[in-house]
Amino acid sequence: MDLLVDSFFSALLLVASFDPEIVSIVAVSLKVSGTSTVLASLMGIPLGFFIAFESFAGKRMVITCLNTLLALPTVVIGLFVYAFISRRGILGPLDLLYTQKAMIIGQTILILPIVATFTIAAISRIDERYSKTAMTLGANRRQTAFVILREARFGIVAAVIAAFGRVIAEVGISMMLGGNARGFTRTMTTAMALEYDKGQFALAVALGIILLGLSFTINLMFHFFQGKTRI
Amino acid sequence: MKVYKISKLTKVYATRTVLDIPLLEITKGRIYALLGHNGAGKTTLLNILGFLDPPTTGNIYYCRQPIQFTEFCLQPLRKSVVMVEQHPILFTTTVHKNLEFGLKVRQMPKKERDRIIKESLALVGMQHLAQAPAHRLSGGETQRVAIARALAVNPEVLLCDEPTSSVDVENQIAIINILRQVNDQKKITIIFTTHDRYQVDSLAHHTLLLNHGKLFDAADGKFFMKKAG
Repeated sequence: MDLLVDSFFSALLLVASFDPEIVSIVAVSLKVSGTSTVLASLMGIPLGFFIAFESFAGKRMVITCLNTLLALPTVVIGLFVYAFISRRGILGPLDLLYTQKAMIIGQTILILPIVATFTIAAISRIDERYSKTAMTLGANRRQTAFVILREARFGIVAAVIAAFGRVIAEVGISMMLGGNARGFTRTMTTAMALEYDKGQFALAVALGIILLGLSFTINLMFHFFQGKTRI
Repeated sequence: MKVYKISKLTKVYATRTVLDIPLLEITKGRIYALLGHNGAGKTTLLNILGFLDPPTTGNIYYCRQPIQFTEFCLQPLRKSVVMVEQHPILFTTTVHKNLEFGLKVRQMPKKERDRIIKESLALVGMQHLAQAPAHRLSGGETQRVAIARALAVNPEVLLCDEPTSSVDVENQIAIINILRQVNDQKKITIIFTTHDRYQVDSLAHHTLLLNHGKLFDAADGKFFMKKAG
């Protein structure tokens, strides 16, 4: 119990003191996770929408494959990306290993299936009368799609929230592809793992509390984008 | 003038023929009632007339133009034919924005949109709910707003699928009066489905009977096949 109380006060002190190292760690975490969430959303939402909205051969198989990818371990993604960006890999000359870009690539691969499958679920549960109503009012295919997207916004924003939550809390990809370099690729989770290894439990838990606080703040912002729905 | 001319139309789902209409003509500016039991094919016919669902076989002429059931050809036609469903759904936004949708699709300027929305809501007696969240309205209010949304785009043909089936008597009277008024004043052709013979008598100029996908003219009880032959 003392550990949690100490950690809580340590977290408050760290936040209040604006410790430059903590600020740097939080900034790297937000930059990497935010960028990968944006990239995955830019690809995953249209992909999910296309799969849900259009009819094509093998659609069920594609959905099954995406659902399977939800269980992809971060270590596997780390190894997979490592094989491409290590010196001997085909992207080796780009010198991406142990950079924030490498972490972003890995994290985007991790959450792309989350965004896509949640979007498919959100679009699929939209009453087909919405598209019929839009069509009878003269909407073209693009305008009809926009209506469905708008009606499904609560579920789609939930997909983005889930994706962001996944990457801000992941440690495997950040550690394998980022290398936990101080000031460059050290994120809140890799810093927590390091502090744990050093036996600095209070600092590790304090970082965890900061992470949850940040996550809560960002979710409040997402909630604003979800808008007023039937909930 | 004939708005629709339909010949040798069939609609088949799997192996079941739900519509088999040798000939049907709809005259501009008239009100048609489509009577029939559940599963007679009334909604299917409305969907085809609203260019929302293609027939399996047959020819349809709209204002003397033959209709090709491709999305490219149908989308412009839907701007002149609007359907109000039996259980209409309103977009999850305000009543005003629901009415604005069809007008925005037609790229109308904002000032013009606001004027039309005001007029359309006044027509159905819902002007006080312009800023209300549409999904919180009662069944009767939803039906009236859906009719206002359809009328706002000034269609040539209004298709109503059982417009009074899920509303109370007060709203039924209001909806019948609205339909009669827009037909009188704007000469909009109206085709509505119903089970209510009193409503047919009080509103419709022509009555069509659908029975297991076959169409009869209620005026003379003749099967349309005979007319076509």
